[in-house]
Amino acid sequence: MRINNKTKIDLTIDFAGIKLKNPVLTASGTFGYGEEFADFVDLNKLGGVIVKGVSLKPIKGNPPPRIWETPSGMLNAIGLENPGVDVFIREKMVYLRKFDTAVIVNVFGYSLEEYVGVVERLDDVPGVSGLEVNISCPNVKAGGIVFGTNVSAAYELLSAVRKATKLPVIAKLSPNVTDITEFAKAARDAGCDGLSLINTLIGMAIDVRCRKPRLANYTGGLSGPAIRPVAVRMVWQVAKSVPLPIIGMGGIVTGEDALEFMLAGASAIAVGTANFINPRSTLDIISNLEQFMVEQGVNDIKSLIGKVNAG
Amino acid sequence: MIKLHKATIISHNAAGRGYYRLVLKAPEAAAAAVPGQFIMLRVTENRDPLLARPFGISSVIARRSIEIFYRVVGRGTELLTGMKAGQALSLLGPLGKGFVLPGNDITPVLIAGGSGFPPLHFFSLHAGVRAHFFVGARDKACLPPARVLTNLKANTAKVHIATEDGSMGRQGMSTDILNDFLAKMGKKNHLVIYACGPRAMLAEVSRIAAEHSITCYVSTEERMACGLGACMGCSIPMKAGGFKRACKEGPVFDSRDIEWGEQVMVTTRSLTHGGIKKN
Repeated sequence: MRINNKTKIDLTIDFAGIKLKNPVLTASGTFGYGEEFADFVDLNKLGGVIVKGVSLKPIKGNPPPRIWETPSGMLNAIGLENPGVDVFIREKMVYLRKFDTAVIVNVFGYSLEEYVGVVERLDDVPGVSGLEVNISCPNVKAGGIVFGTNVSAAYELLSAVRKATKLPVIAKLSPNVTDITEFAKAARDAGCDGLSLINTLIGMAIDVRCRKPRLANYTGGLSGPAIRPVAVRMVWQVAKSVPLPIIGMGGIVTGEDALEFMLAGASAIAVGTANFINPRSTLDIISNLEQFMVEQGVNDIKSLIGKVNAG
Repeated sequence: MIKLHKATIISHNAAGRGYYRLVLKAPEAAAAAVPGQFIMLRVTENRDPLLARPFGISSVIARRSIEIFYRVVGRGTELLTGMKAGQALSLLGPLGKGFVLPGNDITPVLIAGGSGFPPLHFFSLHAGVRAHFFVGARDKACLPPARVLTNLKANTAKVHIATEDGSMGRQGMSTDILNDFLAKMGKKNHLVIYACGPRAMLAEVSRIAAEHSITCYVSTEERMACGLGACMGCSIPMKAGGFKRACKEGPVFDSRDIEWGEQVMVTTRSLTHGGIKKN
């Protein structure tokens, strides 16, 4: 887009070596493997797609009910249902590779070995631009301790993943910790190239008449606009303390929401729950961003990163 | 191709017995819709409530409009009642795979519970053969609107009614009168059952169908966020292992394919008496 036919609006971002047309990505688990949104979104127009989490073996997921709506948000306990990395490579990547967009594969496991296994399988797959590592899983081999809420477990896991691949490694941090910057530092020390934050906040809802939890899993991850202020705060804190580029996410619905994250220090943003309520959200946000830049006389979106006036 | 439409409300009225009838002008969606499919409606463009709501399509009028019947069951439907003719709302659909309509040699046996009436109403209008339509509710006031039932009786179906308190039709649940109906019938190889309602009811219908060796299709009702197969919220456990999404592979399934597990039938009586009936 041009302002007065002279100045070109520049939305491009280089995120840890991954070239993005614009800073708008899709948050893992809210956009399937891209194909689910084919009727609404030309994937070529997106900065990139972060696909639904992939594990070494297929995972069935949790029994229903799996979701519950909450004020300006929703709880989910899907249980990371996915067809496994082999089916992902054989089927889903074939589709995604057709588009000129960055493909970031979200990976997870229930032991260090499972994480390394899935990462190794993806290393030489054409079309994969980077890996986002979901560290919010329990390590079943270490008494179920959650990698993402124990600094040394997170460091050990991310170091092992880093060694297992040539691709850029982005650690997706859990907000369910006392000080998220400690985990950001652990990711940096482990050699990660970027950070994604935040994952969902653990929540619970109860049917008071039946006296039962609303979710079969009892607790679930809270997402949507309800969590946005928490997410913006965490991005701001982490951006100040660690020099790694950040993908900011948590309840983004509009271009202004996205700009909050960028001003707080995110180099890119991911749209999650908003995809469920308006499948064209990502495209709307991209045009919102362009419009905002025209209005504000900003030529290069990179000039907004971390520019909140707050010390 | 699934599309997002701006649908204008043509009419919106209380239809009796707590039901509302909403007619939306959405020509493209209407022309494509088949019985058993559903739409997602956003009741507000604000952030709360956040998600769109799924509604089974009750009928298509003149290939231009979509009719739905709903009752107030929560904040979303409560807000929806305030919307007036002329207002527009975002409509996604039609979604999911509908029923396969029966051949002329089949007598459809329809059974609806809870909010399962509208999709079977649509089915009954399009089946092209006279059906047996079993409708159950807590009491008379919870049955589908009288006028709608009268129209069905006059045109497309023999209607069998059950209420838990006996205030209309037979006392009991719709599955009870289905059971009696099938017990009295001799040969049953011309019957196919089509059911829509809460999970526990569908499980019971499925059990009854299996007992009588009758083919049975169920239209499932699950909570969902997107209707597009992305959120994985509406996944249903399958006998063959794994899950299928009500919004994408469903909502209609062959009842034999679903892993029903142990179901608990909740009746009004059991709720008010603090207990639940194991089924």
